[in-house]
Amino acid sequence: MHFILQGFYEAMRLLFSGDSATYEIALRSLEVSVAALLVSLVVGVPAGATIALTHFPGRRLLVAVVNTGMGVPPVVVGLIVALFLWRTGPLGSLHLMYTVQAMIIAQVLIALPIVAGLSLAALQQLDQGFRLQIMALGAGRWRTFLLLIREIRVPLMAAVMAAFGGVISEVGAVLMVGGNIVGQTQVLTTGIVTDVSMGLFASAVALAVVLMILSFSTNYAMTIIQQHGSKSRS
Amino acid sequence: MTGPVILEGRKLSVVRGGHTLVRVERFALEQGEVRVLLGPNGAGKTTLMRALNGLEKADGEIVFEGRPVRSGGDRLRLRRRTSAVFQQAYLLATTVRGNVESGLRLRGVRGDELRRRADAALEMLAIQHLAGRRPTGLSGGEAQRVSIARALAVDPAVVFLDEPMASLDPPTRRSLLADLEAIFRRLSTAVLWVTHDTEEALAVADRVTFLAEGKVVQEGATTEVFNNPATQVVADYLGLDVWLEGRVEEAAGGSARFVLDDGASLICAETASGPAVACIHPDDVMLFLTKPDSRGTSLRNVLEATVRDVRAAGRSRLVTLDWQGHRIEALLTRAACEELAVTPAMTVFAAIKATAIQVLPRSGGSNDDA
Repeated sequence: MHFILQGFYEAMRLLFSGDSATYEIALRSLEVSVAALLVSLVVGVPAGATIALTHFPGRRLLVAVVNTGMGVPPVVVGLIVALFLWRTGPLGSLHLMYTVQAMIIAQVLIALPIVAGLSLAALQQLDQGFRLQIMALGAGRWRTFLLLIREIRVPLMAAVMAAFGGVISEVGAVLMVGGNIVGQTQVLTTGIVTDVSMGLFASAVALAVVLMILSFSTNYAMTIIQQHGSKSRS
Repeated sequence: MTGPVILEGRKLSVVRGGHTLVRVERFALEQGEVRVLLGPNGAGKTTLMRALNGLEKADGEIVFEGRPVRSGGDRLRLRRRTSAVFQQAYLLATTVRGNVESGLRLRGVRGDELRRRADAALEMLAIQHLAGRRPTGLSGGEAQRVSIARALAVDPAVVFLDEPMASLDPPTRRSLLADLEAIFRRLSTAVLWVTHDTEEALAVADRVTFLAEGKVVQEGATTEVFNNPATQVVADYLGLDVWLEGRVEEAAGGSARFVLDDGASLICAETASGPAVACIHPDDVMLFLTKPDSRGTSLRNVLEATVRDVRAAGRSRLVTLDWQGHRIEALLTRAACEELAVTPAMTVFAAIKATAIQVLPRSGGSNDDA
């Protein structure tokens, strides 16, 4: 019990003393996850919308692929990215292995199917008449897309929260492609793994508390935005 | 008051999944007219409307304001000069005012003009008091008024209405119908109103296009279509569901003899000889307890019949009669029904003017789909 209490004490000390190493790891975690989330949103929402609103051969297969992608274990994603980025792999010449960029790529591949899949489902649930009404109002293709996205903003925020939760807490893929290099690619989750393996429970608990605070505060902010959106929905 | 043709479809057809949903040789909507697309469910009314306002791709040619509509850009231009109201209000997640302004904003209207035009539309539909409300909590009728205000705010050349009353309760429907009738009489906007409700059509339409199985079956002024249905399908849909099969003979001097297949006969207005069906609207049948003296009157048919059934039909009573084995119906007020003490099995005399008997060429087709 002693080391658990000591862990919490240490966590508080690190947080309130402004320990630079702890904050650096926390910021890197946030940087990687937010970057991956933004890329996933920019690509995933239009992709989900395109699949939901158009008809083309192989559409069902694509929906099945997206849905499967939502459940692929992160460690498998990490392995695939590692195989591509390895110095003898197809993208080895880019020298991205064990970099923050490699970690962002892996997390994009984890978050993208979640964002695309949940956007697709939300748009499919929206009455098709809504789309016709927006078009009949005089909206072109782009404005129709934007207005439809506005209509699904509540479930879309749920997709953002699910994707963020998935990447901020992910450890397998970032460990594999980032290498957990202290001061360069170590993030909160991989830092916890390292500390526990070295018996540094106090430090591990401190990083876990920071991770939980980070996760809770971002989700709380997104929940407020989501609930505000749900109040204005018809 | 109507004007030149504003929207025209030529040789329009919509085929989906191998099925032809619409095949129309020509459909022309004139400026300022209220046209009702009437017909049974599945007749292709909504599909034709969507094809005409660029929401559904169709083969054939669409000409709007004298210009052909071919590309996606043409269809967008068409949608920006027109507006549409659907069965559901489909209000956006913003205030009522925001909804009414949305079509204007998409057309680039801003500032004072935006406010002025939105205010005018809100006032037209008598919903100024709802301007700050969100769609949540609006009644179905209020929501539909917002949707109509949004459509009219853009001052469209054509308003497309796709069964706008279908989800409303009867009192809300009556009130909105009365308001829309007055609004459309005042505006110069052409209206294409899709409905399967004959009362709605009678209330608002200048002209009616009757659609069945994707084809235009009849088109004309509202009274013309309702008084002179061109086919059995139309007549049946309009409530003329008593049919007598036979042939027209001895057409001369403004009248003709309609001889039923079993030899019984009726006098009808002069029409082409040959196989035909006759229908008699229940409104046009008068009942007498004793045989009326038809001399010196315009009554050409006095039929001795037996009452089979008496039942309520709205505020009236529908009396079903058996005349020589043929079914004939008469619509009576409740008071008249009580005064005559009409009861099943009693003998009555049904009097019908020759002009009240609608005679149509025998189509040979079934009217089951109507």
